[in-house]
Amino acid sequence: MAVGLAAAGVDVTRMKAPTRKNDRSISATLAAATCALLGTTVAAPVDAQEEPKWDFNTSLLYYGEDEGRVQDASFKSIIRRLFADDRTLSIGLTVDTLTGATPSGAIRQDGPQSFTRPSGSSSYTEPGGKLPLDDTFRDTRLAITAGWQQPAGEKGLLSAGVSVSKEYDYLHTGVNASYAHDFNNRNTTLSAGFAFANDSIEPVGGAPIPFTNMLDVGDTSNRVGDQDKDVLDIVFGVSQVVSKNLLIQANYSLSQSDGYLNNPYKVLSLVDGVSGDTLPRTPGPNGGPSGQFLFESRPDERTQHSLYTQAKYYMNGKVLDASYRYMTDDWEIDSHTLDVRYRVPIGESSYVEPHLRYYTQSEAEFYRLSLDSSAALPAYASSDYRLGNFDGITAGLKYGWKTRNDNDMSLRVEWYQQAGTVPTGQIVGNQASRDNYPDLNALIVQFSYRFSR
Amino acid sequence: MKLRIAAVSLLLICAGCTSMGVQPWEREILAKEEMQLTVDPLEAATDDHIYFSKEASSGGRGFGGGGCGCN
Repeated sequence: MAVGLAAAGVDVTRMKAPTRKNDRSISATLAAATCALLGTTVAAPVDAQEEPKWDFNTSLLYYGEDEGRVQDASFKSIIRRLFADDRTLSIGLTVDTLTGATPSGAIRQDGPQSFTRPSGSSSYTEPGGKLPLDDTFRDTRLAITAGWQQPAGEKGLLSAGVSVSKEYDYLHTGVNASYAHDFNNRNTTLSAGFAFANDSIEPVGGAPIPFTNMLDVGDTSNRVGDQDKDVLDIVFGVSQVVSKNLLIQANYSLSQSDGYLNNPYKVLSLVDGVSGDTLPRTPGPNGGPSGQFLFESRPDERTQHSLYTQAKYYMNGKVLDASYRYMTDDWEIDSHTLDVRYRVPIGESSYVEPHLRYYTQSEAEFYRLSLDSSAALPAYASSDYRLGNFDGITAGLKYGWKTRNDNDMSLRVEWYQQAGTVPTGQIVGNQASRDNYPDLNALIVQFSYRFSR
Repeated sequence: MKLRIAAVSLLLICAGCTSMGVQPWEREILAKEEMQLTVDPLEAATDDHIYFSKEASSGGRGFGGGGCGCN
């Protein structure tokens, strides 16, 4: 019995959500244990042979940014096959369809601006006063993951997995493994894991040489071949049962990226040191840039450290889930993320869950709104808004319910908003009167369906 | 030195942990699906992917995410 209880306790401190099968076996074991303690007998669980062997999790996601920016329709699925002795195989599948426009990195100008598309085969023009967006952002992504999990001894759990994902201009391959061990009557779990990824970047039209000019249509003299990068992640974690209704977790992660870390499609405007306006350029006969735009240049290494803490607290049927993450890296970005979810049951078989998330980050040491032509070029520069100084707020509501055949469904609607500022020291001349940071508003709608067989 | 500090802190944390916790028969609430650290793995994966694509930080809960050219 002690062994059975211990096994039932395992899932409580695991990072992976348990399946409903485990839920049932936990309650069955608990019932048996209680009876054993009270000196009574209990029949073997009636549904032992009917326990589901398959667990299907499927969701449809719509993610849409305003002003014609990125739109993503995504299908995600995780299928789990449960074997004897708590061994589990999971297969994940994701299909993303991306369309829309994304900021090119160039600044606003009073007059119209023209740009060569990343492919190098055509150009496009943005009207004066408008934030330049690259409208060729179209991609389909297919991602597949496979994972195996099994107990290792009485108190250990081993997990290992592989992942592959493919986009038109990107290929990711990765492996991961982790081990978790229970201590203190299974109230404490220590875990350690790693993930290694090797990604290859095959930019449309070839990867541009950093700090070279965007060239006329048809001119590919600054393009080189495919690039790659390696990412190693190491995670150490501890989770602790504090009381009957409080569970806490803390993780430290180290992430080391090496290789090509540029965004091959992002440029910076080269500006006059007094007016702050983009230096003009005469487009070629087949079209090309109307100004001087230099492809960005990032360091080829990045080391990130993060500390993640989470608490789950149960209060009379309601569950508070709060987490905080601190991240710091050698690009001098610091970030804080606070995430709170509060699940409130409605009757026997449904619930609502409000969600609030606050995120704030400082800009990378090499973040620049534009490049000043009267000064020497810095070693690195990027105007990617995601490396800038901004705050993000997410507010959402989820409604979940059980269907008549005991399947789970949920629908969540969330709004995500980013608002950033450019450090004042970076603003030159006329830039002071323009809106320089591309603020973002996005709608997230996700429908999920889960059933076991 | 750093390693030693880390080892000592880990020991202290673990020593602190032994006084916390529950007995096996007190796990009814902790065993509930909504009390798991990751209740909905698909939603967690979705959020990790969205924020990886839109912010300069990733991971924390688990591995750093990524595997796409979206950043």
